[in-house]
Amino acid sequence: MKKRIAPVLIILYVVSFMGFIVVIAYFWQQHRKTPEQPINFSHQIHVTRVGLPCTHCHYSVEISPAAGIPPVETCMNCHQAVATDKPEIQKLTRYWEEQKPVPWKRVYKLPVRRYIYFSHKRHVKAGLECVNCHGHVEIMSVIKAVPKLEMGWCMSCHRQRNASIDCATCHK
Amino acid sequence: MDRRDFLKLLGITSSATLISSCGVDKANEKIIPYVVPPEEEIYPGKALYFSTTCTECPAQCGLQVTVKEKVYHDNRSLFPTKLEGLAGHPINDGALCARGQAGLFRLYHPQRIKRPLLKDENGNFRIATWNEAVERIQKELQTATSAGLTNVFFASRTTGSLADLIDEFCQKMKVKRTKEFEIFSHSNIREANRIVFNQPLIPAYYIDRSDFLLTLGADIFETFISPVQFATQFARVRENSHFTWFHIEPHLSLTGVQASQRLVLKAESEWVLLAYVIGKLSHSQAAKRNLPSGILQILPRFEEEHTSQLTGIATDHLQQMVDSLSRAVKPLLIAGGVSTAHSHGLEVAVLASLLQWMVGNDNNQIDFAGAENYQQVGSLLDVEELVNQLAQKSLGVFFISRANPVAQLPVNFEFSQRLHNAQFTVGLSDVMNETIRECQLVLPLSHPLESWGDAVPHYGLRNAIQPAIEPQFDSRSEGDILLQIMNSGESTQRYKDYLFERWHKNFGEEGRKDFLTHGYRHEPLPKIQWSLNTAQTISFLKEMKRDETEAMNLLWLVPSIRTYDGRGRDLSLLQEIPDPITTVTYGDWISISSQMASALKVSDRDEIQIATHGFSLQLPVKVQKLLPDKTLLIQRGAVATLPVEIDRRSGELYWVITNTSISRTGKRIALPILAGSMEEEGRGLLPEDAEHGHGHNAEHKPWYPEHEHVNYRWGMAIDLEKCIGCNACVAACYVENNIPLVGAEEHLRGREMSWLRVQPYFDKEGQIEFVPMLCQHCDNAPCETVCPVYAAYHNPEGLNVQVYNRCVGTRYCANNCPYKVRRFNWFDHHLPEPLDKMYNPDLSIRGRGIMEKCTFCIQRIRSAKDIAKDEGRLVQDGEVIPACAQTCPTKAITFGNLEDKKSKVYQLAHSERAYHALEELGTKPAVNYLRKRGNDHEA
Repeated sequence: MKKRIAPVLIILYVVSFMGFIVVIAYFWQQHRKTPEQPINFSHQIHVTRVGLPCTHCHYSVEISPAAGIPPVETCMNCHQAVATDKPEIQKLTRYWEEQKPVPWKRVYKLPVRRYIYFSHKRHVKAGLECVNCHGHVEIMSVIKAVPKLEMGWCMSCHRQRNASIDCATCHK
Repeated sequence: MDRRDFLKLLGITSSATLISSCGVDKANEKIIPYVVPPEEEIYPGKALYFSTTCTECPAQCGLQVTVKEKVYHDNRSLFPTKLEGLAGHPINDGALCARGQAGLFRLYHPQRIKRPLLKDENGNFRIATWNEAVERIQKELQTATSAGLTNVFFASRTTGSLADLIDEFCQKMKVKRTKEFEIFSHSNIREANRIVFNQPLIPAYYIDRSDFLLTLGADIFETFISPVQFATQFARVRENSHFTWFHIEPHLSLTGVQASQRLVLKAESEWVLLAYVIGKLSHSQAAKRNLPSGILQILPRFEEEHTSQLTGIATDHLQQMVDSLSRAVKPLLIAGGVSTAHSHGLEVAVLASLLQWMVGNDNNQIDFAGAENYQQVGSLLDVEELVNQLAQKSLGVFFISRANPVAQLPVNFEFSQRLHNAQFTVGLSDVMNETIRECQLVLPLSHPLESWGDAVPHYGLRNAIQPAIEPQFDSRSEGDILLQIMNSGESTQRYKDYLFERWHKNFGEEGRKDFLTHGYRHEPLPKIQWSLNTAQTISFLKEMKRDETEAMNLLWLVPSIRTYDGRGRDLSLLQEIPDPITTVTYGDWISISSQMASALKVSDRDEIQIATHGFSLQLPVKVQKLLPDKTLLIQRGAVATLPVEIDRRSGELYWVITNTSISRTGKRIALPILAGSMEEEGRGLLPEDAEHGHGHNAEHKPWYPEHEHVNYRWGMAIDLEKCIGCNACVAACYVENNIPLVGAEEHLRGREMSWLRVQPYFDKEGQIEFVPMLCQHCDNAPCETVCPVYAAYHNPEGLNVQVYNRCVGTRYCANNCPYKVRRFNWFDHHLPEPLDKMYNPDLSIRGRGIMEKCTFCIQRIRSAKDIAKDEGRLVQDGEVIPACAQTCPTKAITFGNLEDKKSKVYQLAHSERAYHALEELGTKPAVNYLRKRGNDHEA
């Protein structure tokens, strides 16, 4: 009895530990897909209700590899007067008063971002719509990364549309 | 199993599981927006360019700063990330030397002074406010003036509006402005020109307007006056097959090995050589005008045999030189550097001026109108006087600006001890140095890249200095500091407004705008007529030194292309890049000849001791084959000031100490020497002979299918005729590509990190040739076939691409590369803060375990293709210029599309001078080298 309990316990422990890791990983993925933002910004309000085009805030999407996140000044253009009683707007105003940038948590993350060159400009000029890759952002009240930005997903579209599949195109 | 083993096993398996699944990419976490976006239109992928001036040495080349948008420490802002030469600038025309490229290391230096510092009673610095500092200065100035003490303003070479402002300041505040301090004061040249022509100036030399160049000692490619300008001119004139260059020196320099003929002469005997030449050419066809008989009578005469004996130059070489000089239509003589920095230096300079006058100048290849602006620069006699005043305790407030006399003056000046005799010392500097540390009040200067200003490097040219970044610390520009001290109580004008007013007044509003857009401005100059002052010359020649004895065991303190006069030592990039001929990186050494090495029984890295007159020093040895015997070289800055003398007539510093005693200490010092060997052992890096050209490898059937190139095949041509080995390309590559600085330890292990290296090799004639070696982007690359994960592959445009995140670190590719150009990141070498502000955001910073190498600046290719695609066309020739090609002073590197038959690189790659390195291996590189013409031409 004593001789056999040790290996059984070890195996049980290792298996449960790995299971524990798997469970954590699943919730971690979820957390990373929907990180907690410093201000609870709702695209649904701003796009569907107010009617702002994507490029109003994401200003450099047609001219730069990066789409651009709006400067705090852009937000304040409206929110110095609009909805100033809401707590989220008050949070925004505090950032503006302290002249500190809002530290947004990245949602659309490329897996090894620093080694990847992705150009919004080229994709937009090729005729892609924002919703093709980012999903229906206009109805999201909390932004969630819908597609998993993995290389296989990028490659499938590139192959379909005869875009370059040369490694050097994206790997910098 | 017992309990302990059970717990051990549990621990190991848990930690193994955790560690293997660990790894969060922190860089991924946040996106930081602007708070208020900048006025200029800027976004990732676009850069802003500012025209300003490089201030790493007195040459003051035109500079273009590339400013990019980056997030740094949770703040999105604009940062200068690259420095380049200003295209079209009269001095450097787009090129920039290694020191200039390292300028960002000074802007972001970890030892930047951040706030004004005041010493308390214990001699420790405490932080002060600007108001406190200014009030203290004003108080001290008053006290000193009423006590009858002299206040002095001591600075290094200052030109332009700042010089005028300093004059105003000194007048108003009753401060005496001393002569400016440059250890390379060229005093002998200026004094010689004063004696001979009444022009106490360093003239403008135009190598590209001459057909014969005779340089005596002047290291025109390293530090002499304006090295990038001379290199640019040299490249232009080298195309001309009638151009000949004789370089005479008593030692070995980078400049010397480039000359058509390098003649080594015995130290301090240049005056004999010049007197001989003057005697030989007087009243001959070669003399455009003859020297007055009064001068010729006094001038010592030397026969050919005697000259050869005294100078050590063979008679047939003497004849060759005189022949070439007499046949030249537009000869140019430049005497300087080591040849004017010894006891007979003034004689050498005077005789050189006389010879130039004799063989003609016509204000063509040399003129005084565009002279270098050294008018306010004094000599060491002025410094000596100042030091005596300090010893007598007659000085009140002592301002030191942008100078480091403690580190540069000979020990006998005792500057740092005497400095404390002044009533109050104020140091102005951007980076902390030995001198500033001794001052009682330290004022942080804004770096020129953070300030407004202008500069006048030579008469007729005014450079603009414009800020490319807001001051990062609580520093101010010198102009602002002086204005604030001058105008206390009244509202202080900003230096920027002061400058704009002046420019508006002198150039008009249009002119001012133009000045700031171009970055420089030509001002018209009246021509200066040369006239010989016979009386002065004769009285000098009567008293001239005529010592013919030979000195032994000469120790020369020579300038360094990396650190200039030692000022570049605090820039870590310049320590990482090797010295061109010795390839030593971190560390100091003493160069000795092979004869001395065998006499002392030492080899590289053995330590020797040099001693003379109660001073001694120990340094490891580097044996230099071409160095004449009994001559030793130490680079300035390597040793804390030797007890050298000064010439009492001109104040020029001697660079040589004679009759030193040398002995082995028996120690061996770990000195990183990057070049394994300077012999290429017949491997074909240098072409062996003219017949060994293309087609040698034609018999080998290629084992791989030919690559198909659509639209682009990127290739490069490197002209070995033009490469001077200055390593500017290496520095540019480091800054452009975020290459890590690995440090001395790694260099000692042979793990250099530079993607591009300049290899010195001895050619057939025993002269040194430089071969820039970089990834050859071979068509049949040996590295691509051995990567187990396909991280190295050949792309359809001819580039050998390294996919960083696929690399697992097998290092088989580096093993297989015959050119040894692949670099492995053994560790994470991140630049220490705040140097990491200079990282180029357009490309990645590789982590450890990743192989990297030259990419032909793929980020530049990508951005050019992006623009071309927007316009619906292909990239044109000249639109993509990699960092190395862009900065090369001689434009030795050409890059372009080999599929474009009209491109420059195609022409060069198919010229008869083109060859591939290690051709017989069949790698089919995209890099073509152009062999030196000298093999087919007559010198």
